[in-house]
Amino acid sequence: METKHANGDNLLTCKGVTKSYNGPIVLDNVDFSVRRGEVHALVGENGAGKSTLIKVVTGATGRNSGTITFDGEQMPLEFSRKDAQARGIACIFQELSLIPGMTVAQNIFLAKEPTIGRTRIIDKKKMNHQAQALIDKYKFPLKAEAAIDSISIAQRQLVEILKALSDNAKLMIMDEPTSSLTKTEVEMLFEIIHTLRGEGISVLYISHRMEEVYALSDRVTVLRDGKLVSILNKDMISPAEIIRLMIGHSISEKAVHHRLESKRSPVVLEVENITTVGKFENISFSLHKGEILGLGGLVGSGRTEVVRALYGIDPIDSGSVKFLGTPYVPSVKASIAAGIGFIPEERRLQGILATQTITSNIGIANLDVLAPKGVVSIRKELERAQKGISLLNVKPPDPSHLVGNLSGGNQQKVVLAKWLVRDLKLVFIDEPTVGIDIGAKEEIYEHIRKLSAEGVSILLVSSDLPELTRLADRVLVLRKGRIFHEFKDCVLTGEKILRAASGIIEEAADEA
Amino acid sequence: MKRKSIPTELKLAGVLALLMAALSILSPRFLTLDNLTNVIWSVCLIGILSSGAIYPRITGGIDLSLGSMAALMGIVADLFMNKLGVHWIPSILLTMAIGGSIGLFNGFIVAKIKVPAFVVTMAAKTYLYGVALVVSQGAMLAILKPQPFIAIGTGRFLGLPNPIYIMLVLVVASQFLLKKTAFGRKVMAVGANEVAAKLSGVDPDAIRLASYAISGVTSAIGGVVLASLTQQVFAAAASGIELEVMTALVIGGTSPVGGKGSIVGALLGAIMVAFIINGLNLLNIPAPFHPIVTGVVILLALLLNEGHLSIRGLGLGRSAGRQASI
Ligand SMILES: Nc1ncnc2c1ncn2[C@@H]1O[C@H](COP(=O)(O)OP(=O)(O)OP(=O)(O)O)[C@@H](O)[C@H]1O
Ligand SMILES: [Mg+2]
Repeated sequence: METKHANGDNLLTCKGVTKSYNGPIVLDNVDFSVRRGEVHALVGENGAGKSTLIKVVTGATGRNSGTITFDGEQMPLEFSRKDAQARGIACIFQELSLIPGMTVAQNIFLAKEPTIGRTRIIDKKKMNHQAQALIDKYKFPLKAEAAIDSISIAQRQLVEILKALSDNAKLMIMDEPTSSLTKTEVEMLFEIIHTLRGEGISVLYISHRMEEVYALSDRVTVLRDGKLVSILNKDMISPAEIIRLMIGHSISEKAVHHRLESKRSPVVLEVENITTVGKFENISFSLHKGEILGLGGLVGSGRTEVVRALYGIDPIDSGSVKFLGTPYVPSVKASIAAGIGFIPEERRLQGILATQTITSNIGIANLDVLAPKGVVSIRKELERAQKGISLLNVKPPDPSHLVGNLSGGNQQKVVLAKWLVRDLKLVFIDEPTVGIDIGAKEEIYEHIRKLSAEGVSILLVSSDLPELTRLADRVLVLRKGRIFHEFKDCVLTGEKILRAASGIIEEAADEA
Repeated sequence: MKRKSIPTELKLAGVLALLMAALSILSPRFLTLDNLTNVIWSVCLIGILSSGAIYPRITGGIDLSLGSMAALMGIVADLFMNKLGVHWIPSILLTMAIGGSIGLFNGFIVAKIKVPAFVVTMAAKTYLYGVALVVSQGAMLAILKPQPFIAIGTGRFLGLPNPIYIMLVLVVASQFLLKKTAFGRKVMAVGANEVAAKLSGVDPDAIRLASYAISGVTSAIGGVVLASLTQQVFAAAASGIELEVMTALVIGGTSPVGGKGSIVGALLGAIMVAFIINGLNLLNIPAPFHPIVTGVVILLALLLNEGHLSIRGLGLGRSAGRQASI
């Protein structure tokens, strides 16, 4: 296949695209284009309109005005996702749209299964064979016959990519594809993106991670408040410049948190030898007042399982837990009553009430305070909501806004807000900044530090290594459900954590 | 610049006003106190039942047993008063307690044994009907006393039938419970996202149990009102009313998948259907056409409320869950 890389050879051209959901203008006269065979990054603050632009291009939502030309053809004002797919626009959304009960092959060939002869009977053998051939062609770590439930999120994304490839996609759109991937998985995805580009497929890519954007893309489009700020050739600009364009000013990373002398402050949580079969084994640690203890490790190393068990969601088989010096049997109710909070990792599945307002979302975790006798104090509830909104800078700052209609990053802020407005003694935080833009991330870090300074103990799970190194006083690295290494009183680097997480300890051991 | 989306209740009130205007132009008999009272009367039972049935619905479940339940509870009340000689007030209270217990049992199977609510309450609808047949020995029983009991349904206060007041009290109480209490918040949360609710300290099982129990109690109240209004009880007295209740809920903006709902909306929905049927009658449109019209109205309401259809400029097609960030 011949592909042209000439300048101005646009695969996708948007002119004057304007969109408003229900009043406010979300995309304002956006001119945007993607060339053939380029990797194009779309960046901007939370709520800038990135996802909306993608939804408009893929037909997931309509536009109010403006023209969209794809592959030389004008798209009608109203078109469906199916129309877009048929023309070669594929999209990997953040919630993947695979069917869990089916196999990889069945998902790839959904609604276009090969059949036996001229019948309409599905030729399973042939289908598995073709799927495996496709998998092998791109060297993906997948099995055609594996069930979707049994594979990781990263692998599911690969299935989505294959599905799109088997549809002859010309443009592959990815909305924050790396937000729930580990570093190695991200690297694999990058390689795949390079392969795709080599085949002349254009990739449009949304990310809040500047280093990725910089490593990957040929051009970068910056959106701010629904307006196009600029389209840039990457070679002509620095990451700092991109950030400045995104948020309107430059940010300086705050100095690394000084490690506090943990031995001096009293122990808040003491965990001794807890084990849950099949999840984690012999986990022991103590968490001091005002300490930020990081939990590192690969996805699946048992980090999330440990905090879930300590909060009281899943049972603990053996071992003991002490909270503030007294034996403690975790249960969600008891945890909340005792001043323990839990910020879960998957906001859509575990965090938000999409059909409810920001007020109700924040209120639901605060009913003990807002409705001590059963009747909710509407005034107090509103006050809490406003406090949460200003604390985390949720946009739009309207307490009656439905959370399902917020941008991804702002939904995450609401999930954080509903716990951070409480008076806490201890909080478990699992991947706090997934989908959060760079500027807001700094604000959230600042806030976590402030909590710690106020004496709140924090157990922080994160796959974002700089996040751990910049926030944590100590880091425990888990591997296969066990504590593999503890980093304390040393200069933490992401490198060290990553090595320990992958089971390399020599160098790390020198430090301790 | 900012514009709020219009609440379902307000939209419904608007549609209702338009409908009333149209009907009063089309038929001079429409805007008479008698006719209006009749229409409202006919929605009393639906209003009473909806005020409780909305709870299971918002948690994402459904209570289809309420028709059989109401009929059975009428029979039970009659049993207490006229066979066992219990005073009418404790009889009614006992009946409500029994209704609540049966609801609790439904809720137990839904919450703890995780059988889909549709199946559980469909089964309950059938066996409660059976129990009603057995207890009433398959007969239609006339209730001629006690007088105060009869007066509950047939009496009037300030010129309006008593059931209207009963309904209004229940609707207001239900709206208060749903919108202003911690319990109501929790019901909404369970329907919107059970996992998130649980992590925020809500006990979804307890909320489900309570929701079905509430529906059981309002079904019992509905049964009592119906018995005293018609002065008779029999197993099929309220058969099919569950569908009318669900219709009212859907039109009123209560989502079939849970997580949102409004009892005031449901009441307006019930009134709307009643007005439509009343209008069809006044305009001498033959009865067989009525279900076609109501069916279409249900479908339109559902599509509008769930955001599949949108009326440009009216902002009717807004839906959170569906369009939520992809
Ligand atoms: N379904 C919706 N209804 C109403 N408003 C919406 C809806 N979806 C998004 N918005 C609004 O549109 C604006 C842009 O949202 P969008 O999701 O495109 O942002 P984004 O750039 O993808 O942000 P993020 O980085 O947080 O994902 C936001 O102000 C958001 O509140
Ligand atoms: Mg987004």
